[in-house]
Amino acid sequence: MTASTHQYQVFGRLGPLLVVLALLAMWEVTARHLQLDGFPTAAEALRQLPVILSDGQALAGIGDSLRRMACAFVLALLVAVPVGLCMGRSDALARLLNPLLSVIYPIPKAALMPMVMLWFGIGDLSKVLVIFLGVSLPLLFHSYYGARNMDVKLLWCAAAMGMGAPVRLFKVVLPAALPDVLLGCRVGLSMALIVMISSEMIARQSGAGDLLFNAMDMALYPDVYAMILILAALGYGLDGLFERLRRRLTHWADVRQDSHAGASS
Amino acid sequence: MKRAMGACLPLIPLCVLVLAWESSTRLGWVASNLLPAPSAVLVRLAQLLPQAEFLFHVQQTLIRLLGGFAIALVFGVTLGLLASRVAGGVLETVIRVLAPVPKIAFYPAFVLIFGYDHASKIALVVADAIFPILLATFHGARTVEPKLVWSARAAGTGRIATLYRVVLPATLPAILTGCRISLLIACVTVFLAEMISSTDGLGHLLSLAARSFQMVDMFVPLVLISSIGLLLNITLQYTRKHLLRGQS
Repeated sequence: MTASTHQYQVFGRLGPLLVVLALLAMWEVTARHLQLDGFPTAAEALRQLPVILSDGQALAGIGDSLRRMACAFVLALLVAVPVGLCMGRSDALARLLNPLLSVIYPIPKAALMPMVMLWFGIGDLSKVLVIFLGVSLPLLFHSYYGARNMDVKLLWCAAAMGMGAPVRLFKVVLPAALPDVLLGCRVGLSMALIVMISSEMIARQSGAGDLLFNAMDMALYPDVYAMILILAALGYGLDGLFERLRRRLTHWADVRQDSHAGASS
Repeated sequence: MKRAMGACLPLIPLCVLVLAWESSTRLGWVASNLLPAPSAVLVRLAQLLPQAEFLFHVQQTLIRLLGGFAIALVFGVTLGLLASRVAGGVLETVIRVLAPVPKIAFYPAFVLIFGYDHASKIALVVADAIFPILLATFHGARTVEPKLVWSARAAGTGRIATLYRVVLPATLPAILTGCRISLLIACVTVFLAEMISSTDGLGHLLSLAARSFQMVDMFVPLVLISSIGLLLNITLQYTRKHLLRGQS
């Protein structure tokens, strides 16, 4: 057992890099073998990467997308986390909201884009709103779960020492539920990226998803694959950064099984 | 009696919401061409359901949804079970790289490689839905009581046979939990893929209605796919109860 864990640790450091290289190599071989028009080799796509990354317009598009995503994420943090924490500590509120949330849960949020655009116009507001909806639910559920399962004695102590209910929510419940809240943030972050890309693919106004399909319409296939690589790297990079932050903030907590792959719009 | 009351209680907030929505459109607070009344959506759904053309779109969506889910289930469980015994570290690293990647970004590539028909949508559904099943199976199979495996091996069961006679049943609860997440993801993914580029399916119907600003027709496919998601989820829960009837 120890041998295999040690082996795994060595692999853990270099592993992701090796996996990426192996995947690229597999891609290269398959593409050369198939010789499809719509399936350029990895080398061709990689050659387009610097071209796209030095193109001001493309960068502005990706930047716009990320800005909207950040806005929506912060908004969801401000709304969904407090509501989730309150739900976790109040049975009445949980009973009121849970049925509503479980009905909203299976709705594809990015699919709301056409409706939301008719209601709020084609500007940033609609796009931010749709991402906000997608991010809110996982955040809310994880906050709810964290607040519900916290150690109640902590709350009693705080109450006995004269702490008011609103203060308790932020000084006791929030830190106690933080590991779950941050897990929700991680799911929410990948969700935000998915909803962002899919809503831009559906609405085709601006942003990274639109760039992707524009390149496809113009039959610039290496560009399409380069954009996919950029978005994939973005997903991996954001997740990695957040995971570091999460470990730093909650290194004191028990390790939780991450339900990370459960993310989707 | 009390049990029936308890079952109905969660429905009250929902009913209140639907009533408020209905009355706000009826009373003219919201323009009905911007937000149709729920009753109007349901009436339209009832009108469309017997039509062969509408059913064809539903069928296309269901083929992609269930086909993709089935492939994800078979591959996810097989890979997860095998990796729990050999090369687990490799699989874990591959998952760590691929899981946070937004799979929807691969959709254009799938369209270019597999064409505009079923295959590209099914590929996207598989890419999205396989991860929860794979992870659940892998982690579940690794935490199976080793004594069970040892006993089976000592009694003369082969390596592969142990895998599907002992490890698979013991991992079943975890697999079913993974399935629940995957099924929902599959529903959402297939719908989005159809909205983005397709010539049939429920998602395409939404895009079509959006182009002509038919609000009611936009809500119908959305309500239907969400109901399909809920229904599949309920079916899965009953299957779970049936499959796990021996376990606590």
